[in-house]
Amino acid sequence: MAQVFDRSSNALARFSLVLTGLIVISLGVALDQLQRSPWVTKQGQRPDQPIPFSHKHHVEGLGLQCQYCHVQVEKAAYAGIPPTKTCINCHAQIWTNAELLEPVRQSWATGASIQWLRVHDLPDYVYFNHDIHVNKGIGCASCHGRVDEMPLMYQQNTLQMEWCLNCHRNPAVNLRPVAEIYNMAWSGPSSDKPVWCSSTVKGGATAQNVACTTTNPGNNGTEVASLEGAPEGPGKTKSSNFGPMVGVTIPASYQKFTNQMDLGKYLTAQYHIRTPSELSSCETCHR
Amino acid sequence: MMNNTGSDSVGKATTRTGTEDTMAEIKSHAAQPAVVTQIAPAKLTLADVRAKLDGQTGRRFWKNLDELADKPEFQAMMAEEFPRQSGAGEWVDAVSRRGFLKVMGASLAMAGLAGCTKQPDEPIYPYVKQPEDLVLGKPMYFATAYPFPTGAIPVLVKSDSFRPIKIEGNPDHPMSKGKSDAYSQATLLEMYDPDRSQHITYRGEVADWGKFQSTFATAAKQTSGGKGIYFLSETITSPSLAAQWKQVQAAYPQAKLVQWDAVNADSSRAASKAAFGSYTDAQYKLEDADIILSLDADFLGGIAHPGFLTLAAAYAERHRYEEGKTPNRLYVIETMPTVTGFKAEHRLALKPSAIAAFAQGLASGTAPQGLSAEEQKFFTALSSDLKKNGGKCVVIPGEQAPPAVHAAAYSLNATLGNVGKTVVYTETVNPMPSEQVADLKSLVGDIYAGKVQWLVMLGVNPLYSAPTDLEFRSAFDKVPVTVHLGLHSDETGSLSTWHINKTHYLEMWSDARAYDGTISIIQPMIDPLYGGKSAHDVLQALLPNPQASAYDVVQANAKTYIKGDFAAGWRKALHDGWVEGTAFTAKAGGGAPSQGSLPVPASSGLEISFKPDPSLYDGRFANIGWLQELPKQVTNLSWDNAALMSLATMEAQKLEENDPIEIELNGRKIIAPVLMAPGHADGSVTIHLGLGRRVEAGRVGAGVGFNAYLLRTSGSQLFAGGAKMTKQPGTYDLCVTKVHSIEHRGKIAQSDLVKQELDTEGTFSLPGHEAAERGVIRYATVEEAKKTPGFAHEGSPLRETPEHENSFFPDAWDYKKTDPSSLKIQNAWGMSIDLNSCIGCNACIVSCYAENNIPVVGREQVKVGRNMQWLRIDTYFEGDLHAPKAHFQPMACQHCENAGCEQVCPVGATVHTPEGLNTMVYNRCVGTRYCSNNCPYKVRRFNFLLYSDYETESLKFMRNPDVSVRSRGVMEKCSYCVQRIESAKITADKENREVRDGEIVTACQQACPTDAIIFGNINDKNSKVAKRKAEERNYQVLADLNFRPRTSYTAGVINPNPELA
Repeated sequence: MAQVFDRSSNALARFSLVLTGLIVISLGVALDQLQRSPWVTKQGQRPDQPIPFSHKHHVEGLGLQCQYCHVQVEKAAYAGIPPTKTCINCHAQIWTNAELLEPVRQSWATGASIQWLRVHDLPDYVYFNHDIHVNKGIGCASCHGRVDEMPLMYQQNTLQMEWCLNCHRNPAVNLRPVAEIYNMAWSGPSSDKPVWCSSTVKGGATAQNVACTTTNPGNNGTEVASLEGAPEGPGKTKSSNFGPMVGVTIPASYQKFTNQMDLGKYLTAQYHIRTPSELSSCETCHR
Repeated sequence: MMNNTGSDSVGKATTRTGTEDTMAEIKSHAAQPAVVTQIAPAKLTLADVRAKLDGQTGRRFWKNLDELADKPEFQAMMAEEFPRQSGAGEWVDAVSRRGFLKVMGASLAMAGLAGCTKQPDEPIYPYVKQPEDLVLGKPMYFATAYPFPTGAIPVLVKSDSFRPIKIEGNPDHPMSKGKSDAYSQATLLEMYDPDRSQHITYRGEVADWGKFQSTFATAAKQTSGGKGIYFLSETITSPSLAAQWKQVQAAYPQAKLVQWDAVNADSSRAASKAAFGSYTDAQYKLEDADIILSLDADFLGGIAHPGFLTLAAAYAERHRYEEGKTPNRLYVIETMPTVTGFKAEHRLALKPSAIAAFAQGLASGTAPQGLSAEEQKFFTALSSDLKKNGGKCVVIPGEQAPPAVHAAAYSLNATLGNVGKTVVYTETVNPMPSEQVADLKSLVGDIYAGKVQWLVMLGVNPLYSAPTDLEFRSAFDKVPVTVHLGLHSDETGSLSTWHINKTHYLEMWSDARAYDGTISIIQPMIDPLYGGKSAHDVLQALLPNPQASAYDVVQANAKTYIKGDFAAGWRKALHDGWVEGTAFTAKAGGGAPSQGSLPVPASSGLEISFKPDPSLYDGRFANIGWLQELPKQVTNLSWDNAALMSLATMEAQKLEENDPIEIELNGRKIIAPVLMAPGHADGSVTIHLGLGRRVEAGRVGAGVGFNAYLLRTSGSQLFAGGAKMTKQPGTYDLCVTKVHSIEHRGKIAQSDLVKQELDTEGTFSLPGHEAAERGVIRYATVEEAKKTPGFAHEGSPLRETPEHENSFFPDAWDYKKTDPSSLKIQNAWGMSIDLNSCIGCNACIVSCYAENNIPVVGREQVKVGRNMQWLRIDTYFEGDLHAPKAHFQPMACQHCENAGCEQVCPVGATVHTPEGLNTMVYNRCVGTRYCSNNCPYKVRRFNFLLYSDYETESLKFMRNPDVSVRSRGVMEKCSYCVQRIESAKITADKENREVRDGEIVTACQQACPTDAIIFGNINDKNSKVAKRKAEERNYQVLADLNFRPRTSYTAGVINPNPELA
C-alpha cells in the first residue's frame, strides 16, 4: 500500500509541534500583556464625565490647593469628592451662564448628585487608605501623577497590585517631606537641588517631627528668620517653605541629601514607616 | 401553611404541626438516598449511661447522647472529617451535582478568564451639600437605647455615613457600662429586615397616614368620651408615651389602654402587689453577694431577665478567682437547664410546681413533703448556707416563675436581712405597671360584650400569641375597626382593618428607662426607611395637635426630668445616652412583705413548662436570621424548637430523640419533636415559645418550629400539669449544631500514645474522650486551686506545648523582631478567654455576625454543618446525665503561630502576618478546604454556596464597609477583627505612637457582658492580655500539637459548698 503521507509530512508535523508551542507561549504572553494593558487597567483613559472638569485649569491656572476640594484626604480613607456646594462657591459668581456648567446648576437646583465616573477605581477587596499615605510622606503626585497638568483627569499608573507592592516593599523610593505632599512638581533631591532635613521635638504628629528645606539653612538670613530674631548661626534658620515652627526650638543640625534614596531612608526612620515585611503583608490592604 | 391563617382558629382541639414545610421530611426521610447525615439515635437507658459514666475515672466530658453511647455507628460517623457533610456533596436540594455541572459547563470553561475581565465603570455620587460633621469613611457613634419590656438597653450605634452598621453597649451608661447582649445586637438586622412592612394599609389597600389620622380622630370625637376605643399595647416602657396616654385619657376618659405582652412580668407584679401593696421592681446588687440563689431565674441568659447586663457583670466580677478574694457561690433551682443553671456550683432540677413548694419551704424553714434524699440534702445545705450569710446573700426569683416563688423570695430576702444590702426595691421600670393577662381577659370580655368599637393594637401580635382559651381570633372578628401598628404586617396586621408600619427604634424618637431607672432618650439614627409611625404618633392623633411629631412629644416630656438648663441638658442627654439623676432610689418600706396570700400552684401529672425562646424571645425576633441560626443556649438547637425533657422522662414515655410526639393538654394538641436536655427536671417538659410563626412572619421566620402558644392558656401562662404525650410515626431530624464540631483527629493528635487500647479506630473525638484526656476543659474547686495553684498544668493526661528543642520547627516564626527605627519589639496579637467568666450567653456570636458580615445559611445548610458563625460556644457536659455539670468554651480561630492550615494551602490563601495573625486572603482561595481538614479546632467555615445576599438592597446598607462580603467557594474564619486592628494601627501611626493597650477591641470582646475575652499585644508585658496569659491558670487547647495557638483560656475555679460536695 502506498504511503498515505508524503515524506514532507514529517517536517510539517514537526513544524506544527513547534507552531503549537509558539501559539501557546504567545497566547500566554498576549494574555499577560492584555492583563497589564491600559485596556484592562484603564491607564490613561479619559472617560466621558458630565462636566469636562480641568484640574490643570483649577490647580495650575488658578492655584487651588488640593484640599480645597478633597477636604478629608488627611483624615479618612477616602480623599473625598467635592459636593456640588464646593463648585457653587465660586460658580455662583463666575461663569454663571456657561454651557459646560449646566450639570452643576442642575444638581444645585434639583438636589441630585452630579454623576461622575470613577477614574481611580481599586477593586472592592482593596482597603486603600488615603490618610495614612498622606500623613507618612507619600505625595499626591506619586500615585496620581501630575494632576495639575491634566486638562481631563486620567489614571497615570496601573494601580495593579505589583505597582502597589513596588512601593510597599521599598517605600524610600517615594517618600518626601510631609510638607511637600501637595507640591505637584516635587522631584526629590539631586545634587543640583539638595534638600536639608532635621528632626525636631520627639512625639507629636509625623508632620511636625521633621523639618526639611530646599534652601540651604547654612546660608543665613532668610527674611523670616531675621524677623523672628532667631540667633545667628548655621542650622538655626527657619525655612520659609513651610512650617509650624514658630516658637519652637529651631533645630541645630540639618542633614543634606542629594539623592532620593538617602532622603527616603532618613524619612523612613523619622516617620517610623513600618518595615517592608509588614507593609507587604496581606492584611495591610485586604480584610 | 394557609390552613393556619384561616378560621380554624383557637379553642377547637385541632392538631397542628406548625411546621408543615419542615415536617415534610418526616415522610420523605425514608425515601432519601444514602446521604448519611444522621446516625441512629442512641438507644440508651439511664442505667446504661450511669454504668458508662461509673466506669470512668477522672473527669469525663461529653457533648451529646450519641457520643455518650459510643456505639460503633458513632465511631463510623466520626471517621468522617465533617460527619454531617459526608456524602452530602455541595447540594442538598434535588439538583444533582452532575446535572449542575452539565448546565454550567460552558460558563465554567470561561471561568478561568474571569480574572482578565475589566472592572465595570463605577459612578460616584457626591453630596450636593455635604453635612458639616461628616467625614466619609470615618464612622460616627450615637447613643440611644433599645426599649425592651424588661428595661431599656443603652446602646451606642456605629454609623457609617448615617447608616447604622453596628450596635454596641453604651460605655458611658452607669448601668450597662458598655456591655451588650445578643438581642440588642441583632436588632440591627431587624431594622434592615427586607420583610418589614412598608406601607400603611386600609383593608389591604395602600393608604396614607393623614387619612388614618382624620378617620381615627373623627371616630373618637363621635364617641362619648372615647367609649369603645381600646388600645392594646405592648408593655409601655416610655415615660413620654405614658404621659401622652394621660393626655389622651384626659380628653377621652372612657378610652381604655391594656398593656399585654405574651411573655410578661405578671408573677412579679402579682406578688409585689400582695407583698408590698404596690407594684415593685427589685434590683439586685450581686457585687455584695457571696451566696446567690436563683429560683428559676435565668439571669445570665440574656435580657429576658431584667437587669441582665448588670447582674452578669457583677456575677462574673465576683466569680473571678483572684488573690485575696473569695468567689461567690451560685445555687440554681430550675426546671429547664439554662446557662445560669450550668454556671451554678449547685443546681437542682425540679418540676415547676415543685420549685414553688421548695421556695416556700425555704422561706418557712421546713422542707416540703416528698423530697428525695438528694433534694433534702440540697435543701438543708442551702438553707444553712443562706443563714450563715445573712445580709451577704441574695435570692432571685425568675420572671417566669409563679407568684408564690416571688413571694417566697421577698420573704427570704427580708428574713435574711438582704433588703437594702443586696436587694433594693424600687418603683417599676415600666411607667404603667399592670397585670397583663388579667387585663387582656377583661378586654376580650369587653369585646364579647360588644363594647369595643376601635381596637388599636400597638406593637403586639395577639393573633399569634394570645392565650388560646381566650379565642382571640373570634373576638377580633367582632371588633368593627381594628388597627395594628407593627414592624411587620404579621398574623395580626394582615387581618386588621388598618395596618400602620411601625418605625424601628433606630428610626424614631422616644425614651425609656433602664433597669436602674435611668432614663435614656431614644434618638433616630436614620430617616425611617419606609416612613413608618410610632406609638407616639398614633396616640397624638387623638390629641388637639395631631401634627406634633414624636420629637416634640418626647422633648416636651423630657422637660419634666431633665434638670437645669434644658437646652444644654437635652444635648447632654442625647450625647451621653442617659439623663443624670433619673436612677431610682430605694422604695421605703419594702422590707416587710405581708405573708402567705399566694398559694402554691397545684398540678399533677406531666407538667409542660412554657419559656420564652432563648434566641427568639416571644417570637418578635422570628424573622432575624442571625437569631434563628444562633445555636440556642444549652441545647444548641438552631432553626427549631423541641419538647425538651430529661432522659428519664424520655424513658418513662418510651421516647427517643427526634421522635415527633403529640402533646395533649386539656384537649389541645400540638406536634413537637423530642430532644433530650441534660439535667432537665423529670416529669416535666419544657417547650419554647416564639416559633411556629405563619407566613406573615417573613421569609426567615415562617414555618420554623412549632407554635407552643397553641397550648398556653390564660390560666397556665407559666406551666400546666396533666399533659399527655403520644409518639407519632416517623422521625423529625432536629437541627442541632453541636455534632458538627465533633471531629476525627485521633492519630494526628497522638492521643493514642496514652490509651492505645481505646483508640482502635483512630476516631477519638475532641469533645468526648479527648476533652477529658487532653484537658480541653480544665477547672478546679477553690480548695483544689489553693492546694495546687498549677492545677491547669499538672496531672498526667494534661500535655503542654512540646519543649523548644523537641519541636521539628522550633523557630517556625520569630515574633521578637525589633523595629529598626524605634527599637521596639513588634506587636504580637493574642487573646485570652476566662472560662470562669464565660456564661455562654451568645452575645459575642451575634456581635461577630454584624461586625464581619457573616451570612445566614438556612436550616438545611446548618443541618449539614455549614453554619458560618466564626465563633461558637462549645458546651461540654460533665458527669451524671441526670444532673450534669457543664462548661462553656468560646471557640474561634486560635491564630496558631505554627498553624496547620497554612502548611497545607496549595495557593497561599491562608498566610501568617508578621504580627502573628493567621489571615485569609479570600481572592487567592480556590476552595480546596485542605486547611479546614487540617485544623484541629474546626473553626474554619467554607462558603459552599453563595450564602451572602448580594441582591437585597436593604441588607447592603447594613454591611460593615471595612470587611469583604465573601462569595461562593471561599474559606473564611475569625480574623481577630483585623479591620479594627488595622484602623487602630493607622490612628496610632498617624500620631507617631504605639497602639495603646485596650485600643483594639474585637467585636466579641466588646459585646461580652462579663469581660471574659481580652485581646491585645502579648509582646507588651504590661498589657492586660499578657498579664492574664502569665497567670498559672492559663492554658492552651490541644497545646501538645505544637500549633501554638494565640488564643488561650483561663481555667475555671468553682466554689462548691463542702456540705454538698
